[in-house]
Amino acid sequence: MKLYVSADMEGTAGVSSWRQVDPNDTHEYPLYRRYMTREVRAAIDGARAAGVADVTINDSHWDKRNLLWDELPNDVRMITGTPKPLSMVQGIASDFSGAFFTGYHGMAGDADAVLSHTYSPETIYNISVNGVPCSEALLNAAMLGIYGVPLLMITGDRATVEATKKQLPWVTAVVVKESIGYNAVNTLTPAAACDAIRVGAQNALRRIAEAKPFTFEPPVELIIETARVENADFIELMPGFERLGGRTVRYVASEYSAIFRAFLVATRLGGAANVPS
Amino acid sequence: MRLYISCDMEGVAGVTSWEQVDARKPHHEYTIYRRYYTQEVRAAIDGARDAGANDILVNDAHGPMRNLLFDELPDDIRVIFGNRKPYSMVQDIEASFNGAFFVGYHGAIGDANAVLCHTYTPSVIYDAYLNGVRCSEATLNAGLLGYYGVPLLLVTGDRTTVEGTRRQMPWVRGAIIKESIGNFAADTISPIAAQRLIRDTARDAIANASTAKPLVFAPPISLDIQLYKTEQADIVEMIPGFTRTGTRSVRFIHDDFRTVFKAFVATFRLAATI
Repeated sequence: MKLYVSADMEGTAGVSSWRQVDPNDTHEYPLYRRYMTREVRAAIDGARAAGVADVTINDSHWDKRNLLWDELPNDVRMITGTPKPLSMVQGIASDFSGAFFTGYHGMAGDADAVLSHTYSPETIYNISVNGVPCSEALLNAAMLGIYGVPLLMITGDRATVEATKKQLPWVTAVVVKESIGYNAVNTLTPAAACDAIRVGAQNALRRIAEAKPFTFEPPVELIIETARVENADFIELMPGFERLGGRTVRYVASEYSAIFRAFLVATRLGGAANVPS
Repeated sequence: MRLYISCDMEGVAGVTSWEQVDARKPHHEYTIYRRYYTQEVRAAIDGARDAGANDILVNDAHGPMRNLLFDELPDDIRVIFGNRKPYSMVQDIEASFNGAFFVGYHGAIGDANAVLCHTYTPSVIYDAYLNGVRCSEATLNAGLLGYYGVPLLLVTGDRTTVEGTRRQMPWVRGAIIKESIGNFAADTISPIAAQRLIRDTARDAIANASTAKPLVFAPPISLDIQLYKTEQADIVEMIPGFTRTGTRSVRFIHDDFRTVFKAFVATFRLAATI
């Protein structure tokens, strides 16, 4: 049995500030990258206890080279580095039986979800697909769905995991902290979070029969509300994008994988406008 | 008569180095060459007026696109300032223009003996082709003019640039301001002589406008771009409709030249992020 793990960092126990998850920070980041790695390790250990043999981990945070090798088992594969065409779900394939999202966070605009954002806080104000407001978890889960792979577990703060559970009720949710606004948390300790994740991972795999791949019905419509007008100015340059308003663009495709790629490239191109002219 | 002027800076008399034309890290030389640049545009306007042009739109098309010294231009023209225009160096071109001038233009990336040659973004674009035709900025920009039925009438710059443009569009009048010696040296006429030459050639170009033709790329239009680096192609191929044709090359095909042009702009903006 093959398991896919997409590992983000903001939803790690204790994280409440960008400094803790910014690889340029030399003080707090080195600590929290270890906690992030240990939570991933806990997820793997739980999955192993439930019979998973093969594990692929996709480091999905920031510049995507955060995980510490020496704290992981020596028989996993790791996808590391950026950019990757499918970003946080690079390497997903139909031979995976299920996926975990660890250390995930709320979507841009969520209240009481520490460091909430959707891919790029400087560029993306809101995303919806077929009218459904999307978090990173939902955008990524829909990409898993293209390959028939169900999301089995998500870990993070309460707002994040509960929002995901509402959309994907079969997912096992592990709450490692309660967010108090955007920059404060009431949190489990790293060790307690790892215990909870290990148990959650085991339960998630026991319940795998209930899990379903998540998909958007074609034709698929992507609406991006950008943070700034200039982001939309750039995104609109691309073929197929339609400007709906000062800060709104639309893209329609017959299948979701084209939408996901269009979203990723739009985020990058839109972000290029954030540098002063 | 309505005239459109797109003005760049590398082809101005005397220019041989990036420092002279870099508005972002202003060097004391930029201040000097910015004035020569403005005076050459002024000369083109004056010549066009001598020959009957009366409605002139100038698009500042160099770097951050806010280089022209306003107070050195006639007070009854319009100017487009600022970069990040979807149609960049040919923003606001439309069918009501009778012709266009490209002033201070430079050679295509890869041209030998063409001072400061590049095609939009030198760190990104290694070569660009439309329907198999190798493109300079003049070619790409004239293609958008052509979509609107507007002919290019005049190009000014170094010999390589002017002759390269005239090979593709033989009806274009050229004012050769300098002979480039490699990429960073030139044998140049003086600013005053350049302004006289530009004024005379502009007059001539307007007087002969009836012989000029729009440059039209027949649909389906195929845009082939060779990028500088593999990692740039990795992200550019994510643009909807783009296909990867090689490790450092991409292709986009579309029937509407405007879509192709904007896709080109998206390409260099996107690739510059890596």
